[in-house]
This record gives sequence, C-alpha cells and structure tokens, in this order.
Amino acid sequence: MKIRIIKPGLLTTIQDMGRVNHLAEAVPFSGAMDKLSAQIANLAVGNNTGDAVIEFTQNGAAFVAEDDALLAFSGDGAWLRNSENRLPADRPVFVPSGTELYLENNKSGNCSYLAVAGGWDVPEVLGSRSTYVTANFGGFNGRCLRENDELCNKELSNTIALSILTRLKGDTVRYPNWSIARELFLSADRKIIRVMKGREFNWFDDDPATGLFSESYTISHNSNRMGYHLQGPRITRALPGELLSTAVCPGTIQVTNNGDLIMLMADCQTTGGYPRIVQVAAVDLPLCAQLKPGDAIRFKEISWKEAEKLYIQQQHDLHKLALAIARKYD
Amino acid sequence: MINNAVAGNLTIYPISEGAVSIEFGNTIDDGISEHLNRFNRLLCEKPFEGMYQTVPAYTTLTIFYYPAVVIKSALPGNNGFDKVCNYLQQLNREDATTSFIPEGKLVHIPVYYGSKTGPDLDLVAALHQLTADEVIRLHSSAIYKVYMMGFIPGFAYLGGLPDLLETPRKTTPVKVPAGAVGIAGKQTGVYPLAVPGGWQIIGQTPVELFNSKREQPTLLNSGDRVKFEPISFNDFKNYSRE
Repeated sequence: MKIRIIKPGLLTTIQDMGRVNHLAEAVPFSGAMDKLSAQIANLAVGNNTGDAVIEFTQNGAAFVAEDDALLAFSGDGAWLRNSENRLPADRPVFVPSGTELYLENNKSGNCSYLAVAGGWDVPEVLGSRSTYVTANFGGFNGRCLRENDELCNKELSNTIALSILTRLKGDTVRYPNWSIARELFLSADRKIIRVMKGREFNWFDDDPATGLFSESYTISHNSNRMGYHLQGPRITRALPGELLSTAVCPGTIQVTNNGDLIMLMADCQTTGGYPRIVQVAAVDLPLCAQLKPGDAIRFKEISWKEAEKLYIQQQHDLHKLALAIARKYD
Repeated sequence: MINNAVAGNLTIYPISEGAVSIEFGNTIDDGISEHLNRFNRLLCEKPFEGMYQTVPAYTTLTIFYYPAVVIKSALPGNNGFDKVCNYLQQLNREDATTSFIPEGKLVHIPVYYGSKTGPDLDLVAALHQLTADEVIRLHSSAIYKVYMMGFIPGFAYLGGLPDLLETPRKTTPVKVPAGAVGIAGKQTGVYPLAVPGGWQIIGQTPVELFNSKREQPTLLNSGDRVKFEPISFNDFKNYSRE
C-alpha cells in the first residue's frame, strides 16, 4: 500500500504514541497531539495503537493512493473526501489504486490522523516513529511531509487487518456499516478542560481574584506543537519565589513572570522553570489538541485521584475496543 | 491521594497521571544532587513494574510510569499514585542502608575559544577586566558538574563556573551553531543543536553532543563531570573533518 502526497497542507508529520525512553537526555515526548484519535484510527484498521499515523493540521492536504489501500481517518481537523463524497471517519475504508483524497475544511478542530493497515513504514529513531522537527529526526526524514513524498505501509502480518482488507477489497471505495464511537470517549462540552492543582498552585492568588476557574481563556496565535499561549485574566502571585527547573510534561500549565499561562503540548521541553499552576487531565488532552487559535476554554478542577481513575478507565475502554474489533474479524 | 504526600524522608507529588516527582531539597547543592543521583541509580537498578523513565533535575527526580500497569501490580495502595509512593518510600529506607556513592563519568570536551566561533569572548573578558586568555584559562580549568539535562536534546546544565566569569545573558537570543559553548549567569553549557540562544558564546566544540542515530544519543548525562580543553584552530578544523 502506497500513497503520494499531492499537497502537504499546513503541518503534516508522522507521529505515534511518542518517544518515551529518552526524556532524561532532554529528548521530548513528541507523538500525536490527539492520542485518542490516533489510537482510534489505528484500531479501525486492525493495527496496534502505537503504530505510526500521519498527523494533519487543519485542512488543505491532498494525496493519491498509488496502490489499493486500507485506511482509517480520525480527528476533528478536517473531513476526508474524494472527488464525489465525504468518507466516514473512525472506521476502515478501502481505497482502490488511483483514488485522490483530500482534507476538506470542517471548521471544527485542529488535527486529524490517517492510519494505514500495518502502520506507516518509517524507521524507528530512539524507540519511536514520531517526527521531532526541531531537531530534524524521526518520522519521514525528520521533517514535515512535502509534495511527492511517498509513504508505504509496513508488511501486513496482522490477521485482523488482513481480514478487514479481504472483506472490503473491491473496485470502488468501500467501508463497513460500523464505526468507532469516538465521542463516547470525550466529554459533552469540549470547551471545558479538567485540570488538577499543580505543585506551585498556592504560589498564586486564589480564584476569584485570578479568574482561573471563573473566566475563559483563548488560544493565542502564538501556539504550536510545543505549547499554547493562553489569553485571559493574568494570574497574580500570592507568594514570591523562583522555581528551579524541573521536569514538565504535556498538559502542564505554567505561569510566566508576567502572569500569562502557557499550556505545554506534545513537543514540549522535558524541563521547565516556570511555576506550574495546574495540570490538564490526560483524558482531556485530546480536546486541547483540537483547539485552534481563537478558541476559548474554561478550566474545571478535579482531584488527582479522579484524574487517574478516568485515565485508567480510558485505557481499559480502548483495550476492550481492540478486543471487540479483533473478535469481529477473527 | 493528596497533592503533597510526605512520609519517611521523601516528599513526593504527582505531575501527571503517569509521573511523580520526588523533591530532595530546594537549592542547587552538591549534597542534594548526590543524594538524588544515588537514589536514581538505585531506582533504575530496581524499577517497579510499569516504570519507564526517570528524569533528574536540580532538586527533583521525576519518575514516569504507566498507571494502567501499576494499578494491576501487587504493590500496596488503592491507586497508582499511592502504589508508586509506597514503593519509593520503601526503596528510600533501603537506600539509607547502602553506602555506595556513584561518580558520573568525566568527559573532556575540546573547545576552540574566541574568533568567529566565540564571538562574545572579548565582551566577556572586557566585562570582567580580564584578557581573553585569562577567560579561557579560567573556563577550561574548572571541573563542571551536569546538574540536569533539559531545554533541547543533549543540552546539559553545568554548575561550577568560576565566580569571576559570571555574565548576564543577552537580551535578545541569536541563532547559534551546534557545539557553541556559552555562559549565562552562573552557568555554562554547550548547544547540541543550532537554535536561537541567549548565552554569551565564547567558543565552539567540534564534538557532537547529540546524535539521534547513536544508541546513546547524548555525550553527557546527569551526574557526569565535564572539563573543557582548549584546542587550536587547526585541531578544531581537522576534528570537524573526521
């Protein structure tokens, strides 16, 4: 299975679940911004959740299937379509050789994922296929995808993927009548982000003096895969003090010296020196990944215990989903 | 589970659903750093089920783990965080009975100081009323310690800069090449990649501090010690060609 990029779009990279074993050497996590959608795209074609996917940012990208291909598309950055129809997301789609596909503006989220049966075949670098553009390694030659780049799948040894392919193969675009209910993994109000108190939470004036939990914050244009600058009420200090740099991770919300908030995302540095006011719940990070400059969010506090429970439940549900698909195509 | 669990000697707090930090103190201090690195060594030798990475910083050691794996483990505790805390506290009690002090490796880094590769050397010298040679001698005579890795892959925060060389950082960052050796405040360091940086650049090393193709991608690791060796322009040029 092979595709060729016709138009690369805004920022298109290969990602997986991230580079987890070199944090101590200051190599960032990277990986899909919206890990939920990336995993769902993989599961839909019978892959492992950690296989490499293409991450598209908003609309504009286009590609052609150079061979017959079994693909799955997930996320909120765009709709996937061919010349005639919009193709359904969150399920396997068989695409015959020669089909041109493109990402159409859906005015909703920020990123989308394309999985191929077997996973996209790029070499592992430091234990991951994720692209880290800042240091030019991982993914497709360490860079964003460009016009005429060709991407192939890894050899299909996976029996689930083979079985899905056998049932869908044909002369036209074909897909089954089931899909994965991605919305069941997400809270109903996608603009409310659940957070836990960070280590330096009490360095700052409490709400309502700050507005952290009562006012909304807007994603600024100065936002990327490393992090988002948030515009909203400035956070004032209750206690003086300087933090010595310490480990941070995606979801950490730091307060700069002038009281602005920065939400760290997938490509963030491994350490930071700004005080940490709150941490985004891991189950709500996919919602953050789908935010665009100009989008407004509100924060809602939950306990660390609750956050852990929600995260473990999500992992459990994804595992059950993988088993259900495997059973269906056994 | 509370935000700040204190039991035994360790202060442990969560930074995400899958990571906790242990706070060993709150100042940059050799004793704290040694304690932290010793505990890190012990933990890496005896990891708990589900742990995948540790990140030492100035005064904290952060431990990353898969909560879905930890929750199924036999460790005592009602949730992943408690299980991890219990394990770390237990290990800390064992740690008190061990006596080995790990010494990081000593790494020699050749540096060509001054000229185009060290554009700020003269400025640093003038600021401290030293000659350029005196700055080089001071900078290359100290033995530095890697307190932590951070900022970009392979970047080591080095402590131990002679007081005489303490220099404020630039007001606006400029693009620096990979291998640039800089000073900022009480710190010195080497840029592993070409990035915008605000440190005063006094030289450049031909040695690669980061290479994603190496199994051990970084030259330096937390706990290592570093000595800079002045080299001539010819040595710098020839080294680069190798």
